[in-house]
Amino acid sequence: MADLLDRFAPLMAQRDALLGDSDTNPFKVKMDQVLSQTEAMIAGRRTILVGTNNYLGLTFAPEALKAAHEALEACGTGTTGSRVANGTYYGHKDLEDALSEFFGKEHAMVFSTGFLANLGILSTLMGPEDYILMDADCHASIYDGVRGSSAQIIRFRHNDAADLDKRLARLADKPGNKLIVIEGIYSMLGDKAPLAEIVAVKKKYSGVYLLSDEAHSLGVLGKYGRGLPEEVGCEDDVDFIVGTFSKSVGTVGGFCVSNHPQFDILRLVTRAYVFTASLPPSVVASATVNLGLVKNGGALRVRLMRNAQKLQMGLTALGLKVASENSPVVAVVAPDPAIAIAFWRGLIEAGVYVNLALPPATPYGYSLLRASLCAAHTEEQIDEVIAIFSEVATKIGLITPAKTKRTAVG
Amino acid sequence: MSGAEPSSDTLAALFEILKSFNKTGAELKPETRFSEDLNFDSLVVMEFIAVVEDAFDISVPLNILPDIASIKDLARAVERIKTEDA
Repeated sequence: MADLLDRFAPLMAQRDALLGDSDTNPFKVKMDQVLSQTEAMIAGRRTILVGTNNYLGLTFAPEALKAAHEALEACGTGTTGSRVANGTYYGHKDLEDALSEFFGKEHAMVFSTGFLANLGILSTLMGPEDYILMDADCHASIYDGVRGSSAQIIRFRHNDAADLDKRLARLADKPGNKLIVIEGIYSMLGDKAPLAEIVAVKKKYSGVYLLSDEAHSLGVLGKYGRGLPEEVGCEDDVDFIVGTFSKSVGTVGGFCVSNHPQFDILRLVTRAYVFTASLPPSVVASATVNLGLVKNGGALRVRLMRNAQKLQMGLTALGLKVASENSPVVAVVAPDPAIAIAFWRGLIEAGVYVNLALPPATPYGYSLLRASLCAAHTEEQIDEVIAIFSEVATKIGLITPAKTKRTAVG
Repeated sequence: MSGAEPSSDTLAALFEILKSFNKTGAELKPETRFSEDLNFDSLVVMEFIAVVEDAFDISVPLNILPDIASIKDLARAVERIKTEDA
């Protein structure tokens, strides 16, 4: 009989061929000491972290640390229960109230992770007569969520409002409700959804709802950090916002907010909410405090985007292909997986951590060195990161030394 | 997937689209399977289905993809969706 995991043999062979037996393995990165939001000790080296999604750098906010310590002392290390049983403490309700106020939505539900929020909401919201129209580049948690739904699942081409329009037109005579699912900022390349166009398409038809996952845009976009809908000025047209506390909010957890009057029933029917333990009180307390810092984080957003632009322009000037502009995600496109891995190894050995992202986890089959910026990065750190990218890219033959020199001069 | 025999027009249209996706050079027959014979991975499936959707002016729900193994399966599904949409 075949071994239990034999069906992964092709993947294992691919992994071994790409990685060999080197100790420098992108899947085995261990932070031995966390020095700050932007630096850690990895394999004995002081390493600049440029791939943490810690956009505002709030993981060490003193106010949040204090609140977390107090909640830990007052309530213990965990709730040991579901939100609908013994796992709802005052802190969970305070956090939901804070989310409602932050987004200006009537209802808020807190989940144990962002992944679970998507899994729970998307598998539950739509029924057997309904349709979900999702952007093809949506996150794995959205794919897994819709897979659990009894609705018909239809994908539209990434960021293509005209393709969405065509697909909604085909469904215009079908009686079921329709839900459009998009993300504010797509995680891999850092590109934004064309939200105004999508809202315009939504309004052409009846019975169409819109859900946006603001995982990477919460805290990043909008004057008050409410994400792409705030930036575009169409918050009332987005019926459900899903998000996470594990990026700008600097801890872990997920949520969904909505003005739907019957939203609360979802607490009883969403399995990823009912059948899992709630967040520990210390996490909840830090999320609540950091949400306030996100709202008043205008200065942090300015620093974040300044850092992102500096890195994006610096890497582009080296002759590297960067996927998006004006984004907190600066993804460098490498020609193939082997070059991407060599690049990644060179960077980590020189003291720079970025995310390595390979197909099929990436759009267009791209092999990516994905950097994400932090408001807490200093200009000196960004300069050092650019210099190390230049050194490594030259060493592996991706850019010519002449190009590097020209950049250094001008 | 079983059901009525798909029309030769539908099959011919799928063969035509598949020409540019056929990297293994496998013979294109109604029984040719996407995964085993054509080596399609999930990304290629996505791109291929998108082209089929444009060509036939339909949406192929993700829900039915696990039941589509061969070109014939896809041809049947395309014809069924076209009938339902009409």
